[in-house]
Amino acid sequence: MKGIILKNERLNDKYRLMEIESPEFVKDAKPGQFVMVKTGLQDYLADPLLRRPFGVVDVRGNTFRLLYMLVGKGTRLMTESLAGSAIEFSSSLGNGFKSVKGKNVALVAGGVGIAPLLWIAKLLKDDGCTVSLYFGGRNQEDIVLADEFRPHIDNLIITTDDGSIGEKALVTAPFGRDVKSFDRVYACGPKRMLQAVSEICVSSDVPVDVSLDERMACGMGACLGCIIYVREGEGTVQKRCCVEGPVFDGSKVVWDSVCRVG
Amino acid sequence: MSGLKVNICGVEFKNPVITASGTFGYGLEYARFTDISRLGGISVKGISYNEVQGNLMPRIMETTSGMLNAIGLQNVGVHRFLKEKLPLLRKYDTRIIVNFWGKSIEEYVQVAEILDNADIDMLEMNISCPNVKEGGIAFGSDPAMTSKVVDQCRKVIKNKPLLVKLSPNVTDIKPFAKACEDNGADGISAINTLLGMAVNINTKKPYISNVTGGLSGPAIKPVAVRMVHEVSKVVKIPIVGMGGIIKWEDAAEFFLVGASAVQVGTANFVDPEIPIKIIDGLEKYVSEQKLSNISELTGKVDLSK
Ligand SMILES: Cc1cc2nc3c(=O)[nH]c(=O)nc-3n(C[C@H](O)[C@H](O)[C@H](O)COP(=O)(O)OP(=O)(O)OC[C@H]3O[C@@H](n4cnc5c(N)ncnc54)[C@H](O)[C@@H]3O)c2cc1C
Ligand SMILES: Cc1cc2nc3c(=O)[nH]c(=O)nc-3n(C[C@H](O)[C@H](O)[C@H](O)COP(=O)(O)O)c2cc1C
Ligand code: FES
Repeated sequence: MKGIILKNERLNDKYRLMEIESPEFVKDAKPGQFVMVKTGLQDYLADPLLRRPFGVVDVRGNTFRLLYMLVGKGTRLMTESLAGSAIEFSSSLGNGFKSVKGKNVALVAGGVGIAPLLWIAKLLKDDGCTVSLYFGGRNQEDIVLADEFRPHIDNLIITTDDGSIGEKALVTAPFGRDVKSFDRVYACGPKRMLQAVSEICVSSDVPVDVSLDERMACGMGACLGCIIYVREGEGTVQKRCCVEGPVFDGSKVVWDSVCRVG
Repeated sequence: MSGLKVNICGVEFKNPVITASGTFGYGLEYARFTDISRLGGISVKGISYNEVQGNLMPRIMETTSGMLNAIGLQNVGVHRFLKEKLPLLRKYDTRIIVNFWGKSIEEYVQVAEILDNADIDMLEMNISCPNVKEGGIAFGSDPAMTSKVVDQCRKVIKNKPLLVKLSPNVTDIKPFAKACEDNGADGISAINTLLGMAVNINTKKPYISNVTGGLSGPAIKPVAVRMVHEVSKVVKIPIVGMGGIIKWEDAAEFFLVGASAVQVGTANFVDPEIPIKIIDGLEKYVSEQKLSNISELTGKVDLSK
């Protein structure tokens, strides 16, 4: 489908926030879902060929937002899209996060993993939860959108590798200290962080949902390029990250089957 | 629409645009994203006798105007396909081609025999997957082996037309096409992916765990057009052309060099509406060129100097 870019805002050297108007898209979108975006400007631009997956930050009226980190040619091309121009993308994809009512929940984000957590934070808050956000980054530059979370969360704990803002630690340090107080955890970020968060949760018997980034060609369940393994019963089964995910039970993911992309 | 109606190996297609094996799942995946009843046909993911889990990840990587894949022919196996997928797929008004393969001639024959009696329109024998060690490519890189596997399968395929899908990873594709025709194939599909490789210069590791993968997408189109042209010079049976088609103009090129129908692969990942845009584009082209049917384009490349 097609939308109109309303804003393509530079947050800093590393991140951009894009707002897109599309009544058709917002109709079906849910928190924790993602969208495959055609980064080029023309209909049939062959390079970059594939669409790029991005988490849906939130939906407001007829618009939705994407937070993107500059990585390679697709995301760099996106920075050149001007407000007012058209952009092509898929409908909303994947399973998304499920909200819970009246619980004490933690959100754990690493870097751009913050993107899909804002919408679910709002929903959790509306559903009467106490919400704590643990947000880790390399440095101050990675700590984006934090202000937008404030109205929807009760606690904000920031960590950076260099201490430029918040505690100088990995995000798993403060989260690990507090884990026992939570009923449920939602996490998105680099694989190693998600694995550590899941292990911490498992050892304290706290349910954890992780949103995984696998390299994707189609995003629609057809190419079988995004397979991960999860434990089921005695053995393991294959899942397509794009359809059965991107959100999985962190205690069931076979972490060695998850690729390190990017 | 009749200007696009084609007859391929005795089967009527309402238009000559078919989605390529491995890029359209079992068809059902796309029902949410595009009107699959508008497609001429669907070639489903390569089916083997037993369920196959495929290669380790990472399996895909984008390259310039294309992508590498080494999925490793992951599929649910012929029995589950017939039971769980085919009945649902049959509800759509489109032709169903089943792409199949085996690790041995016996497995090819076994699957062929089962499919010959199933409610499908056509078989497409894959002897060209570059991503599995046994089977597939072993039969597509030696004309004697190609002859043997086509001949053995032909003996058990009694009710359905048989396409054989050729590999581009050979010095000369012509003897393979000829071997198929001589051993009873009803048509040729060409081409499968080109063997390729890409390395991450930071980690110094190949991007694909299988080390090599099959290259597809617009990057391979000129190679595919050349190969369809070569095949058309040596066989009389219909050719289903593919490789890098992303717009109707690409498809028209394949007709001109001898294709009677086309398959669209990687483009489905880019936008699942592309096959329909190609159908619409071809229809317009046919009427603008004042052709009564698109088949009048087949083989009309003008080689005069
Ligand atoms: C479900 C999901 C949600 C995502 N959400 C966001 C988000 O909200 N914000 C954000 O900035 N990024 C997100 N990503 C990562 C984002 O898709 C990549 O950063 C982006 O594709 C890079 O494209 P590029 O052309 O700039 O990079 P290149 O390196 O040039 O891309 C080459 C290929 O690798 C793929 N690729 C590269 N990095 C990644 C990665 N980390 N994950 C998956 N594929 C990758 C690209 O899609 C492309 O096919 C998400 C990924 C997934 C799978
Ligand atoms: C992810 C992927 C999976 C594929 N799987 C199969 C397969 O199972 N059987 C087969 O015959 N071809 C398979 N192919 C090859 C395509 O059907 C097609 O021949 C090739 O990709 C060239 O066309 P394209 O450039 O339009 O994609 C696959 C291609 C891709 C990209
Ligand atoms: S990205 Fe194609 S199956 Fe998941």
